[in-house]
Amino acid sequence: MRKFMPADELARDERFSQTTQRDRMADARTTVVLNGDQNRRSNNRLTPERNDASEAARALMHGIFVGEIQALEGAGRTCWDFTTGEEAPFALKLDMARQAWDEARHVEISCKLGDWMGAEIGQYVENTVLFEAACSNDPVLRLAGVNRALEGLAIDVFTTMKEFGEIAGDPYLEFCEDWMLADEVTHVKMGSDWLRKVTENDPERRKKALEFQNIVDKMFSYGGSRSESDESSLGIARRFRELAGFTDSEVDYVAEVSMQALNERKAQIAERQAAAAANK
Amino acid sequence: MANASKARAPFAPWDRREIAGAFSVEETARRAGHYKWTEMKLFEALGGWIATVPELDVKMRLGTHCYKHAWHAELWHKRLPELREMNPDRLTLPANDAMVRFIDAMTEPESPDQTIEKLVGVYRVLIPRFIAAYTYHMNNTSEITDMPTIRTIKFILQDEFDDLRDGEMLLQSLIDSPEEAERAAAHQARLEKIMVEAGGITGPGSIGFN
Amino acid sequence: MAITVSPGTFDFVSFDAAYIERIAGIVAGQLGVTDIDFSVEIDETSALNRISTDASVTPVRIMVHSGAFEDKRRPRQQSEIDTTVSLARCMLRARDRLRGGFASAPTDTELTLAQAAAWDTYIMARLSRIDIPVNKQAWHYNWRNRHGFNDHSDAAFERMWQAESLDWDQLSSASDAARSVSA
Repeated sequence: MRKFMPADELARDERFSQTTQRDRMADARTTVVLNGDQNRRSNNRLTPERNDASEAARALMHGIFVGEIQALEGAGRTCWDFTTGEEAPFALKLDMARQAWDEARHVEISCKLGDWMGAEIGQYVENTVLFEAACSNDPVLRLAGVNRALEGLAIDVFTTMKEFGEIAGDPYLEFCEDWMLADEVTHVKMGSDWLRKVTENDPERRKKALEFQNIVDKMFSYGGSRSESDESSLGIARRFRELAGFTDSEVDYVAEVSMQALNERKAQIAERQAAAAANK
Repeated sequence: MANASKARAPFAPWDRREIAGAFSVEETARRAGHYKWTEMKLFEALGGWIATVPELDVKMRLGTHCYKHAWHAELWHKRLPELREMNPDRLTLPANDAMVRFIDAMTEPESPDQTIEKLVGVYRVLIPRFIAAYTYHMNNTSEITDMPTIRTIKFILQDEFDDLRDGEMLLQSLIDSPEEAERAAAHQARLEKIMVEAGGITGPGSIGFN
Repeated sequence: MAITVSPGTFDFVSFDAAYIERIAGIVAGQLGVTDIDFSVEIDETSALNRISTDASVTPVRIMVHSGAFEDKRRPRQQSEIDTTVSLARCMLRARDRLRGGFASAPTDTELTLAQAAAWDTYIMARLSRIDIPVNKQAWHYNWRNRHGFNDHSDAAFERMWQAESLDWDQLSSASDAARSVSA
């Protein structure tokens, strides 16, 4: 088995179909509010008050499910891709193996939650951006990408879903999300600790890793799906991010790039829609 | 109630443990180092394969088992300094060259249509060898001086038996034609030959026979 | 019966207006609404999975955001099943309003979330009985989100799912009663 696997080779059964972030961004349709458009929602935050709450929650749950599969694969690949000692400390690889087990349980939990919500495996397209963006060939960058950016996103997602369960009075959803959230905080903390440790005497490498994390964080804002604006379906879970070892300025940065991503996406969509209207 | 100050034998009548054991401290450390090396190779391979298997249930099992073997490696890593090996990496070694070749051959399958080969290598060849080596060690070491190793092996063996059952059931569910049965058997035979040459996880003498 | 589909061509999605019209014709036949004229209006600039019906005008307007006809496995491509289900949902709601005892129901935009969920349950159950593919668990989840996650709510869902003939008063009362326990 070779080292380093491209995202387009992730093995899936016949139920799955995959897309890339590039394809997703090529979609000029919108799910966010455009100025003066009363026919759209005024608030995109995923809460039970949304008209399409059940469908949106189900779609997000499927996104979580495939995201957990990619996180499982990412953690597993870290055990394999890097030579113990030379490229990655033994203890780091033990943590990644532990994370693989946690992610495997998250896939199991997501399957059960999908059943509960009436989703079917493969019902929605899988975006392979998580694996693609986070799984760098450099172990330190991978830590930053997987354990801080990807798992940080997971904290935001699980917090949103946990709150959704609380408000809807869905004990099953709330229970599951709470447990998964606990694991994700642990994974981010693991990443924060390892990143500090591995780059202790190499400030340049640490800087590079944090820059990489920032790029991935912006990518994981999915064109504004996550931000502190109500126009985004997912919020930023400041409290749990702090528990996981993010500093205030790091969380502020995530909030800032997410907002940028939202605004860029809105401008891009408005431009494309105007162009399409002009061509009619 | 019995008189509390009355003298009692240090070993109760039902406690028949003996001092005698087959392994010295050095030999125990050597074996522990080979166990650690092999458990490491196994958890790394299981982790790497997760992304290569399309079967969802297998994917999740590999993730679970990956951690168990990492934990076993950690247990041996922690046991080594207790056996006077202060640099655990020094003894974290394959038993011999054949063992290296075995791991290379076992981890060779990569394509998504080779789940049978992946599972056969782990669950029909390597884990049975682990169970054999651990059982031999547990049954032959001193039940008094080396009780920490016995305790470690008992924890590990519980996992190995559970994983063997998981892996075997997955294999039985995947092999559903004569051709696939032959594929599984051929791969098993190929790996088994290398393992015979290696003499088991700790080399010749892994289960007492040289 | 006349069915019109607009727009006639699509820029943002790979939908086919003639195909949508054909599917609408088949569904109208299945639901016995071939005497009603429909105008299917698709907002292709929105990826939302959203539909609404205005049965107070002729032709009856079926307003669809493109996500409602989309194949979720192949973004921007049309799904025959999703097109069928979304159109059937709208047409059955229109039929209820025009001759099913739902004349006094609020307009689609004025329905409460619970009323909309109850009506959808009644609609989707009937569609499932004419062999249109429906995931009952998904609609049960939708019901629970609006009526509570408890045994009382589940029993009310089951009654709604089995119901053959309800009018607006019966449906809204059943929804209110189911919600009263959660409240």
